[in-house]
Amino acid sequence: MTDIGGRALDRELKKGSAELLILSLLEARPRHGYEVSKLIDSRSGGRLRFHIASLYPLLYRLEERGWVEGRWVEKPGERRRRFYRLTRDGRRVLAAQRDNWREFVAAVARVTGAKHA
Amino acid sequence: MPDWKAEIRAQLATLRLTPERELELVEELEAHLDDLYRESLAGGATPERARQAALAALAAPLPLAGGLRPLRQAQSPARVVPGAPSRGALGDLWQDVRYGLRGLRARPGFTAAAVLTLALGIGANTAIFSVVNAVLLQRLPVRDSERVAHVVLEGGGVLSYPEYADLRDQQAVFDGFAAWGGIVASLTEGGEAQLVQGLIVTGNYFELLGVRPALGRLLASSDDVTPGAHPVVVLDHAFWKSRFGARPDVIGSDLRLNGQRFTIVGVAPKHFSGTVIGGRGSLYVPMMMQAVMRPPRAGYSGEMDPDLLKRRNSRWLTGLGRLKAGQTLERAKAEMTALASRIEETAPEDGRRTLPVRMAVVAVDVGDADQRAQLRSVATLLLAVVGAVLLLACANVANLLLSRAAARRREIAVRLALGASRPRLIRQLLTESVLLACAGGLSGLLLAALLLSAFAAASPPPGALPIAIDARLDPRVLLFTLAIALGAGLVFGLAPALTATRGTLVPVLKDESFVPDEQSRRFNLRGALVVAQVALSILLLVAAGLFLRNLREIQSVDPGFDTERLLQAQLPVNLLRYTTQQGREFYRRVVEETRALPGVEAAGVARVTLLGGGGRTSSLHIEGRQGPTGRFQSEGGRIAARATDQVASNVVGPGFFRALGTALRAGRELDERDVEGAPLAAVVSDAFCDLHFKGLPRERVLGQRLSLSGPEGPWREIVGVVSDSKYATLTEEPLPVVFLPLGQRHETGVVLYVRATGNPAMLVPAVREVVRRLEPNLPLPELRTLSETVSASTWAARTGVALLGSFALLALALAAIGVYGVTSFQVAQRTREIGVRMALGARGADVLRMVIGGGMRLVGFGVAVGLLLALLAGRSIESLLYGVSGRDPLTLGAVPLLLGAVALAACLVAARRATKLDPLVALRSR
Repeated sequence: MTDIGGRALDRELKKGSAELLILSLLEARPRHGYEVSKLIDSRSGGRLRFHIASLYPLLYRLEERGWVEGRWVEKPGERRRRFYRLTRDGRRVLAAQRDNWREFVAAVARVTGAKHA
Repeated sequence: MPDWKAEIRAQLATLRLTPERELELVEELEAHLDDLYRESLAGGATPERARQAALAALAAPLPLAGGLRPLRQAQSPARVVPGAPSRGALGDLWQDVRYGLRGLRARPGFTAAAVLTLALGIGANTAIFSVVNAVLLQRLPVRDSERVAHVVLEGGGVLSYPEYADLRDQQAVFDGFAAWGGIVASLTEGGEAQLVQGLIVTGNYFELLGVRPALGRLLASSDDVTPGAHPVVVLDHAFWKSRFGARPDVIGSDLRLNGQRFTIVGVAPKHFSGTVIGGRGSLYVPMMMQAVMRPPRAGYSGEMDPDLLKRRNSRWLTGLGRLKAGQTLERAKAEMTALASRIEETAPEDGRRTLPVRMAVVAVDVGDADQRAQLRSVATLLLAVVGAVLLLACANVANLLLSRAAARRREIAVRLALGASRPRLIRQLLTESVLLACAGGLSGLLLAALLLSAFAAASPPPGALPIAIDARLDPRVLLFTLAIALGAGLVFGLAPALTATRGTLVPVLKDESFVPDEQSRRFNLRGALVVAQVALSILLLVAAGLFLRNLREIQSVDPGFDTERLLQAQLPVNLLRYTTQQGREFYRRVVEETRALPGVEAAGVARVTLLGGGGRTSSLHIEGRQGPTGRFQSEGGRIAARATDQVASNVVGPGFFRALGTALRAGRELDERDVEGAPLAAVVSDAFCDLHFKGLPRERVLGQRLSLSGPEGPWREIVGVVSDSKYATLTEEPLPVVFLPLGQRHETGVVLYVRATGNPAMLVPAVREVVRRLEPNLPLPELRTLSETVSASTWAARTGVALLGSFALLALALAAIGVYGVTSFQVAQRTREIGVRMALGARGADVLRMVIGGGMRLVGFGVAVGLLLALLAGRSIESLLYGVSGRDPLTLGAVPLLLGAVALAACLVAARRATKLDPLVALRSR
């Protein structure tokens, strides 16, 4: 675990990238909330974790902005689940945010001299 | 899988989410927690640890509400209405209308049933209201009818022409003072003579009333100057249509009235027929032509001066005035009374009235107060009856709507879940109801129009109704129909709309079986409707039953003469101005020749038309007793049965009693002996003896003397007593009557009574021929068998029974449908319960008993309520009944039995389905 200062930095970094994370995960295909949180957990190697209290408000906010669209899907024998997918606006935003992120990371790397992994 | 709902809800409690939004969030989070739980279990945790882990993920590290609060959906709930977005109140209404129409079109069976039921209820109301409107609510079609008034004497006495002229010249109360009288004339227009009725009016009559002619011109003051110099006539509109085919070229053509040629100058406006509501005359002639015309009832022989305009004590006119601005009826009455008294003081001796003069000023719209009172009670009864029928129809439609609402539970629940507001949904359901009601209203109007034209076509026989009814669909009736249609829509639509939008959403959405809390609920709407229907039906059936018994009573009345074989013919000889000698000769020959006809058993003449509704009243003095101070005689008024200073009288020719078949109790009949010069004789009825000579044997009454001409005599000796017979109406009490011999008291108009050995209708052509041969100028007499007269007088009672009976049967049918409906609904609701019972061993008969018991319990309540209402209402209609009490036990006993039987049959039909159920299927049903 990181120290307190590190935890705060973590939080800030997560906040800035949270939307990008979710939008990018929804790019491939529609997913439901649990799937998104599980993917983030596994793909980041446990480094990034989204709790219920952070994930769902974020999803709803993206939905209110019109970047994602939620739809109830009912499969036989199962309870129905809400799947989210990117809208056209959402794809545009995702592309923009990706570019921003890359530029940001590159800029930080140039300033700090850290080698880009 | 554990249930996460409570914990999730607790997390969301502080937010202001709509129930629908909360539902969605809960469901989404439940899925997430389920997945976490499964994951933990898969990882080897115990169920309890897994549950804790999942809950921990929910609660930590931050509260969920905190993250959601900034979102818009937690601040202001989104409203999603199915279909187009809200476009304001009018747009919504139009949307509701279109949606409602679509829904009604999709269920044609339901829509047809509802519209038909409503059409019957609304149509009946419209038809009855249009009749009531025509009879009670109509104002006279004259300018400012509330300022126009009749001026007569208090008690009904009328004016003579000189009296009218004095009043007209000296009064200051009215803007114009006219007079009118009724006349009867023989009309010849290209061929046969016909008897017509009409009005004779002063020149300012039409001008005062402010009416315009439909064709040509109306009578004016210029037609009222010189006696005998204005042979012009105005036709009544309806008469112009029926007799002249509404030809515009009648203006200027001639016709003969009483032998004198008159020129037609105009046609009165449509719907105008004088100033008496319900009157019906054929033409209007100027007052100055009075010498040719004459009042129908005045004694009028050829020796008399025909000119009544100069005779102060020939009273036959009604005054008509238009109140000046600022005048009231009371002040007018006082001033006219004072004026009339002044005029009496200065009047010549032989023209003076014997009793003090008191005038009455009566608004023309009011009409005959007694008649109106009776018409009002009949109208109230009919309106109450059709109102009850409409309520029944509404109850049935409400039940239909409830059933439909039950079938639409899912649709309504989904719409509520999607965010529709409850008031909006209720408004939409009400729009559907109002649409149904409007469709029912339009069909009802059509139905009413059909009924009214049928009524107009099958017009009642003459004399059956005291007034003419001109019922039509005027604007007031249309407004009434619209109002009750809208009202009905709200009445039957409100309750189902309220109950349909209530209730819990999720069980319905999940399609769980309808929890049978309807039965355990205290107020069961369907049951209440059925109870109300049954109660109303009982009320209507009792009313119909009472009137049926009433009719039976009337029909079984013994008139005291043989109606089966009697023929009567009016002989209005006064139109021909015979002298007394000529008149007597004519009567003698008519009777003689009629008696000689084959098939005639007896014949006689009399002054008064039996069962004509009125007769002659004279002052009565019995020798040796105190009597009234003056003398009087009036025609056509109401006869007082118990008065001792006046009596009903009739003037009869020889052989009259034999012709009628009236039995002689004592003494002798009036016959050929009783002529001028012979001792004055009279015959009295049984009731007369009972009233004036109580306790005396009939023989002792003979020889007593009485006078109908005042306290000075001449005195007549009672020579015979006859048994009672009906005089004016079938339902009167036995009347004291005095009969005078025609030979000693000549009359200028009599009725011929002919007694046939067989069917009297066969004699009509022969009798008509006898009269025509003896006097070709006499308009063909109105020939009717007495049984036709009797049936005319019972026409109103028979029609009333037919009407009430139909409404009552309609009510019974509606109630039976209601009982059937609620019973089958109960069967559907309790299918599972029935399945359980049958599986546990109940037999068909037990199930039947259970289902029928439920239905009949409701019927029992309804019968109790209905009987109570009937007992209360019975007293108020007693005034319309004859010989039957308003609480007749026979009717009150038979009606519940009838209704109970019909209701039981309805229950049986509905319950049969229950017995056919396969228990397994029933148990599996939802």
